[in-house]
Amino acid sequence: MQLIQNRSRLNIRALLNAGLVVATVVLTGCVSPTFYVDTATREVPVAELKKPAQPKAVQLLFDFQTKGAPNSRAVSFLKDQVVDQVKGSGLFATVDEKPVPGGAVLNVTINNIPEADAAAKGFKVGLTFGASGTKVTDNYVCTVTYLPPDGGKSIVKVSQHAIHTTIGATEVPQNVNKAESVEVAVRTMTRQIIGTALKDLSLDPTFP
Amino acid sequence: MAMKNIIIKLSTSLLVAASILTTGCAQIALNQPKASIDNTQKARSANLAPAAVGKFVVDPTKSADLDTSISLRGSNKAISPVNGSFAQYLQATLTEELKTAGLLDPNSGAVISGFLTQSSVESFGTGKGVLGARFVVTRGGATRFDKELVATSTWETSFVAGIAVPAAANEYEGLYRKLIGILLDDADFKKALAR
Repeated sequence: MQLIQNRSRLNIRALLNAGLVVATVVLTGCVSPTFYVDTATREVPVAELKKPAQPKAVQLLFDFQTKGAPNSRAVSFLKDQVVDQVKGSGLFATVDEKPVPGGAVLNVTINNIPEADAAAKGFKVGLTFGASGTKVTDNYVCTVTYLPPDGGKSIVKVSQHAIHTTIGATEVPQNVNKAESVEVAVRTMTRQIIGTALKDLSLDPTFP
Repeated sequence: MAMKNIIIKLSTSLLVAASILTTGCAQIALNQPKASIDNTQKARSANLAPAAVGKFVVDPTKSADLDTSISLRGSNKAISPVNGSFAQYLQATLTEELKTAGLLDPNSGAVISGFLTQSSVESFGTGKGVLGARFVVTRGGATRFDKELVATSTWETSFVAGIAVPAAANEYEGLYRKLIGILLDDADFKKALAR
């Protein structure tokens, strides 16, 4: 009997639906996947964020979902990165995982919406040992919700991103940057999609 | 034709191997309870009085096993990180939600307690999770609310246990926040805890 205390130790590939493709390919053949980060959403330097004159303390909630269902492994894997990014944004006086005086809350949710037939594609590639290549796309939607101190009106900003995975003999997707690994792809996507939403939040005239 | 037979035999062998490799047994501890933005917003907009969170135990008419473990698929089980009790996991989830909403007051005369009544997961074919609890609200010692609420979830499962089991754990864990959301939406509950 194996006790899994920290599910973040599990294979990061399971973060992605592409992981399902990878898993099925690995089970049926020996073909390596390649990961690409879409370039439609780019890096957002901290300098592009509009810093508030009087930043507020905020409680940070982070959630990662797959098709709307919680994905706690992804949360464990990415939480520290997200906390560091929000702290480094300069938009808040302090960032804490516990409630803060005034009750301000910043919620960051990333929802992974994968292609419906990803697993079937993986089987096809695996069974042909890569001769039949395929590309699957994982789309991501980041929703940042800010609840101001003392019960003010909430602010919601949404950004989008995508990671493309190719397996076997297939063409390289357009408008992408190749990632060294799935870990790099996921961390890059997360940094860029949150950076975009935080920038939009910082530019909202009602913030903070 | 010969090539086709080889591929079919190879595929069958690989699938059998995959099945062996991907079945096993594990205990997955749920993550520590945390607040959700949906429930925080619901609680803040409901004009509720601050409340204390009382005892949460398994319903005395149910098996004690309901409180300690749940099968996700075969011998793969989920366990609670809160004293090994799912009833206390629900209690801790409610506590986190009220705390983030600014509505937790351990000294309040209003107390929310609960009894775990249902807890199940099916993770073959279409996955299904069920979580039920009877919530009781007392104010000044008088019962103002006593109702069983149930949260359910359905999802597509994978034949690969290594994917299906963590997915089932995630879905089951999400039911706790979902059940608290149902409680916060309940008109009778909001009336019982109105300021």
